[in-house]
Amino acid sequence: MGNTASRKIRKSYFKRSTGDRLFSGILVLPAVVITVIFIIVPIIDSVIKSFLDFRVKNIISNQPGKWNNFENYIKLFQNEKLTGAIITTFSFVLFVVILQFVFGMLLALILNSKIKGARFLRSIMMTPWVVPTIISALIWMWMFQPQYGLMKYIVQLFTGGAVTDFAILNNPSTALLGIGIAALWKQVPLTTLLFLAGLQNVPDDMLEAATIDGANKVRQFFSIVLPYMKSVINVAMSMAIINNFKQFPLIWTMTGGGPDNATTTLAILSYREAFVSNNIGSGAAVTTVWMLLMVVVVFIYKKLMGETEVD
Amino acid sequence: MKKFLSLLMVVIMVISLVACNKAPETQSPSPSSPTTEEKEPVTIKFANYAILEAGYEAFWNSVKTGFEKKYDHITIEWVTAPYGEIVNQVVNMAGGGDKVDIMFGEIGWTPSLEDAGLIIPIDEVLTQEFLSDFYPSMLDAGKINGKPYALPMYASPYVLYYNKDLFTQAGLDPEKPPKTYDEMLEMAEKLSKLTTKDGNKVYAFGQTTASVPISGSSLTSMIYNFGGEVLNSEGKLNVDTKEFKDAMEMLKLLDDKGYNPQNAKLKDLRNLFALGQLAMYYDQSWGFNGVNSINPEAKNFTASAAPLAGGNGTGQSVIEAHTLVFMDNGEKQKEAVRLLVEYLVTPEVLNDYLADITPAYPARKSMKDIEAVVESSILKGAANSLEKTRPTTFIPAMNDLNLELTTLAQSITVGDKDIDSAIKDFKTAANALID
Repeated sequence: MGNTASRKIRKSYFKRSTGDRLFSGILVLPAVVITVIFIIVPIIDSVIKSFLDFRVKNIISNQPGKWNNFENYIKLFQNEKLTGAIITTFSFVLFVVILQFVFGMLLALILNSKIKGARFLRSIMMTPWVVPTIISALIWMWMFQPQYGLMKYIVQLFTGGAVTDFAILNNPSTALLGIGIAALWKQVPLTTLLFLAGLQNVPDDMLEAATIDGANKVRQFFSIVLPYMKSVINVAMSMAIINNFKQFPLIWTMTGGGPDNATTTLAILSYREAFVSNNIGSGAAVTTVWMLLMVVVVFIYKKLMGETEVD
Repeated sequence: MKKFLSLLMVVIMVISLVACNKAPETQSPSPSSPTTEEKEPVTIKFANYAILEAGYEAFWNSVKTGFEKKYDHITIEWVTAPYGEIVNQVVNMAGGGDKVDIMFGEIGWTPSLEDAGLIIPIDEVLTQEFLSDFYPSMLDAGKINGKPYALPMYASPYVLYYNKDLFTQAGLDPEKPPKTYDEMLEMAEKLSKLTTKDGNKVYAFGQTTASVPISGSSLTSMIYNFGGEVLNSEGKLNVDTKEFKDAMEMLKLLDDKGYNPQNAKLKDLRNLFALGQLAMYYDQSWGFNGVNSINPEAKNFTASAAPLAGGNGTGQSVIEAHTLVFMDNGEKQKEAVRLLVEYLVTPEVLNDYLADITPAYPARKSMKDIEAVVESSILKGAANSLEKTRPTTFIPAMNDLNLELTTLAQSITVGDKDIDSAIKDFKTAANALID
């Protein structure tokens, strides 16, 4: 009797939908709190610092930074460092992401076919992805080493001795390409793995029907396989864009932004401003521009992928 | 009644316990007595990247053991990070309110640490009597706004290391290294025609130009060789000079002739030198440790010479030093640090280190004739070159300025930019840092 009464009271306070919403809210709360503390607050803090004269000594002496009339941004644009870094970042991202898609898809198609040893290949293929980025950078630096590197020997061999001074990382016009190759070696395995998972979700009956209808393999790929893999491609390429937009250890270890600033991306510039020049405000200004550009790029990419949706 | 007895027992026990606790206190010396103060345990936080480097670890651990044995109330606690990260590590710790007491590092790190408000003048820790034994030029090298912020443990100019075997193979006298850039170019022509046993090219002359601050410091030294400078004594850019341009022209010439390994770090040059693929190169004296670790036979063919003179210059060089810098964590810590420094920078502790691990020139006058220096075949050839060193004017953005200098060197070598435009670009970038 008493229980029935209390249930009646509870009903009057919480409707079922309100209770569900409250319960969902409690479940989401930890994630929201963590996001706010570790992502939103630091982003806001970084944006505020980008408008201040804020150096390492401010941190140590616990002194607030001073408003400096957009000087961090003005200086960066005046000495063309920022423009150069934006161009380098976009060139790097475009190069790596496009080739990552092409090689990832090719490898996934090969591994998805019934070739002998596919299972073995799948397991060893993941090795570069497991290797830490700095170790990858050191391995590729060693291979590209201009005096005794493996690549120098291979190029010398294949050109019949015509090219004896192959030094991809030393030439400002090829250094970014060298880092791009190392980035592809590291990142293609994960893309392949994701694409492989996507390929296995393409229904066989659709492909069989297409074969009966006379569609060749190329037609099947573009009209059936790709549309079915769209969500996987979307996720894999978004990850690739973000990953390469913020690529730092590979570039810093392999070239340090040189030669002649040819590999100074926004990540490198931000680090140099904040931790080499000890100018946190200027570093934050680069980071703010960098973050905005990344948001715009990912937004455009999502928009494009959304507009080309196939039923 | 029972309750009353129990209560009485409890009261008696409490009083007894209090009495027992108090007894020893009254018998022990008061905290302010000198005996207790001397023996009060102190822990020194010592930031030192070398602990992580093979070859140096044993020496530093022996310093810790020996010092802690001598002063049993002081403990050294290492704070370590790799070479390239130790400054950030120390700064980040300080940002979190945890300052180290002492740090071992390069003299070039001093301006960043001072600008961060992290280090204190060394005369706030060390006595004038102790400091008076140091060469004034070496103390000057660590001065900022007239105050000494870095204590050199030992120092070196950029010495010219050369391979005596390659000199012999090229028909040159191994006992007569070049003294000027012109002499070097004549020798380089012969040396560059050599190849190693396995057919690899021999580079004639190595000057580091890679994108790391230490390469910028080495390039500054090359500019000094020609009588030029990057910053004047007031910390202003001074590169519109014939001497500065002469140095850049030499760098381009070395590149055009293929004498200098392009865009090489000091460690790349050490590697090539150790493998007999580089005939001459500029390095800090302790760079030989890197050569020796790659090829222990290198000591048989390595000799050193004073920095070369170029153009109107007399072969002056930057002074490089491994230094100790101090942070303020109160008088007790400073006193412990003083004892540590006075223990460390002595012939007894440093002789074997300078003889076997890090060939370098002592910073103390009283250590001038120690065995490690007098009998070092590696240091002998460049023994008088310390007299030709000149300190670098420090600015807070020193590391960045050095990186801009490497960009300049790269743009006229691997970048094929003409020297005037490259210097103009350098001035724009450097002035932004100095302003």
